[in-house]
Parts: sequence; C-alpha cells; structure tokens
Amino acid sequence: MNPALLFDVALAALAVVAALSAVAGRDLFASVAFYIVYGILIALAWMRLGAVDVALAEAAIGAGLTGVLLIGAWSQLHRKGATETPPGPSSAARLLAAGASASVAVLVAVIFVGLPADGAGLAPAVRENVAESGVSNPVTAVLLNFRAYDTLMETIVLAVALAAVWSLTRDELWGGIPGLRQHARDGGVLATFGRLLPPLGLLVGVYLVWAGSSMPGGAFQAATVLAAVWLLLVMSGAMDEPAIGSTAIRLTIVAGPALFLAYGTGGAFLGTFLGFPADVAGMLIVAIEYVLTVSIAATLALLVAGVPRRQE
Amino acid sequence: MDEFLYLACIGLLGTVAASLVRVHLGPNRADRMMGAQLIGTGGVAIALVLAGAARDASMIDVALVLALLASFAAVAFVKATSADGAGDPEEDG
Repeated sequence: MNPALLFDVALAALAVVAALSAVAGRDLFASVAFYIVYGILIALAWMRLGAVDVALAEAAIGAGLTGVLLIGAWSQLHRKGATETPPGPSSAARLLAAGASASVAVLVAVIFVGLPADGAGLAPAVRENVAESGVSNPVTAVLLNFRAYDTLMETIVLAVALAAVWSLTRDELWGGIPGLRQHARDGGVLATFGRLLPPLGLLVGVYLVWAGSSMPGGAFQAATVLAAVWLLLVMSGAMDEPAIGSTAIRLTIVAGPALFLAYGTGGAFLGTFLGFPADVAGMLIVAIEYVLTVSIAATLALLVAGVPRRQE
Repeated sequence: MDEFLYLACIGLLGTVAASLVRVHLGPNRADRMMGAQLIGTGGVAIALVLAGAARDASMIDVALVLALLASFAAVAFVKATSADGAGDPEEDG
C-alpha cells in the first residue's frame, strides 16, 4: 500500500471517528470539541482532494467561526442550567431522522455512481474560457464571472439571514447592541492576544482576496478571517459590537451586494446582466471582491453576535 | 521523497489520534479543549507537509489560516469559563 493512500485511509477513519463522537456523545461540551476537530480534519481532506479553495473556507469557518459560535451557545445553555444530557427524542422521531438521513445518503451515492465515467464535468469548458474571465483562478472565474448570479444571490441570502436573526429582537431592545459588554484584565493574556493577532489577521484577509484572482483564496475565505478578527477584538474587550440601528453598519452590510447588483445592471445596459466586458473584467472582479469581503465579514460577525441584548 | 513526506503525515496523524483520545476522556473541559487545540497544531503541521508533498504553495495558505484561527475556540472557551461569561478568568483571580 503506498503511503499517500494509507494517509487518506487514516484521515478518513479519524474524520469518521470525530463525526460519530460529536453526534453520539453524551457530553455536550465534548461534542462541541469533537466538532471543532472534525472541521480541521475535513479541511485536510479537501486539500487531499485538490480543492484548496474549499479547504481554506473550511479551515476559516471550522476553526474560526463555528468554534466561537458553538462554545458561546454552550456557555449560555450552561448558565441557564440546561442539563448536559437532555432527554432524547422519541424512538419514532429517531427512526424518521435515520430514514431521512439514509435516503439522502443513498441519493448522493446514486448520483455519484451515475456521474459520467470521465469525471470531467464542466472543468474543460471553464479551462477554455478562463482567459476571458479576467482572473486566472478557475474557482474565482466561476464564482464571480461565469456563475456570478449564484454568488450575487448568496450574498443577498447572507444579508437576509442577518435580518431574520435581528427580527427575533425584543421590542424594547430594537436598535440595541448584540451580546454582553465583554471585558478583560488590562495587560492580561487575553487583552494582549486581542491586540497582537488582529493586525496579522487583517494582513491575511487582504492577502486572501488578492490571492483569489490567481490562486485559491477569495472574498468568502477572507471575510471569514476578518469576521473572526472582529470577534476576537470584541471578546478581548478592545472594541464593542455596533448597535444594529447604526446606519453605518447597515450600509456596510448592503454595500457588497448593492455594488454587485449595480455592476450587473450596468452590464444589462451593455448587453448581458452580470456580463463583464473581458478587458475590464479582472479589475471589476477584484473591486467587487474587496467590497464584498467587507460586507460579508460584517454580516458573518454580526450573525455570530446574535440578537441585541442591551441598549446603549 | 514524497513517500517519506506522506509517511511523516501518517506520523502526525498519530498525534491527532492520541489527542482525540484526550478529547474523549477529558476528564475536565479544559483537557478536552487542549486536546482540540493540539489537533489544530497537528493540522497546521499536516497541511504544511502536504503542501510540500503536492508542491502546491497555495496549500501553505490553509496552514496559515489554521494557525491564525485555531486558537479562537480557546479564547471563546476562556470567556465561557469566566464569572459572568463576558470577562476574563484573570480578573476573577
């Protein structure tokens, strides 16, 4: 057996163990820890599959945002006295869930087996036309040019999700600030960490957007890194969350999708909705990506922060 | 050479497996959290070696992002264990 295959088998086995432990565990905190581990292992698996763009997104979301979100949720449950081992659902509900999961698994397997044997899909078409897109990373070419409407709608979905979270706010807290005011000991480990890491995070975020035009990277991965940096600044007490009633923060959230939509509409007057002229496509894509990065970062950070819990 | 790099990755996966045992056994929440953190470190190492084996510089970026963000869960954990859930255990001293 060659070492690369042996590594793949071992990695897959560990990922399955981590997933099973996260789902089947009786201790809620242990499940959260296993889920964080699972995200790291899956990022490595995406690398072995050659999908470095996906690996980057998984590493940023799994390690940066999901862990913070889940541990925050666990902390609130724990404080409310929620038991570590809640009573499970009825066996009928379990059977139903097992049946639904098994059906999805079978469906995915059937689709996978039914794929054309050469496995090329649309990759050759993308490779032929990537020169027209203005960027050399085929993933960015698909996301921001060939299938730009998918990405446009995804960014709008993110903004809508945030509106849905905000709509759960109690009336008297509307326009208020999400979460508790965070604090840390001046000069302590946490406060120092919160000042040391953000500049590096900003640098990596800006780099990832730029890298996205020619190699794996892009707006979403960079935005996740920036959102994590935002959360770290808040957690270390260096910065407070903005009030959700703030005009500046609302404009930041809609700026990305709005600019994207404006470019698309401009394209419609020139011939095709979201059709970028090939000679300026590269510049337009990088400009949209940077604005989108800021909007997505603010949206993700505020999604993790949740509903307002206090007024200014 | 590549074979050696993949063998090194398998060795690093061994440390991940050992940390998984610690995450499972605990017994404290801090033990589980530190186990998960150690797997973050192992993940960075594996990503770097894989980048070398595949000769793909962009894979180093995955290691960079993991190294930058893997500690964030620990920060959230530290916040969660402070007195009011929004503080810093160092303040509670």
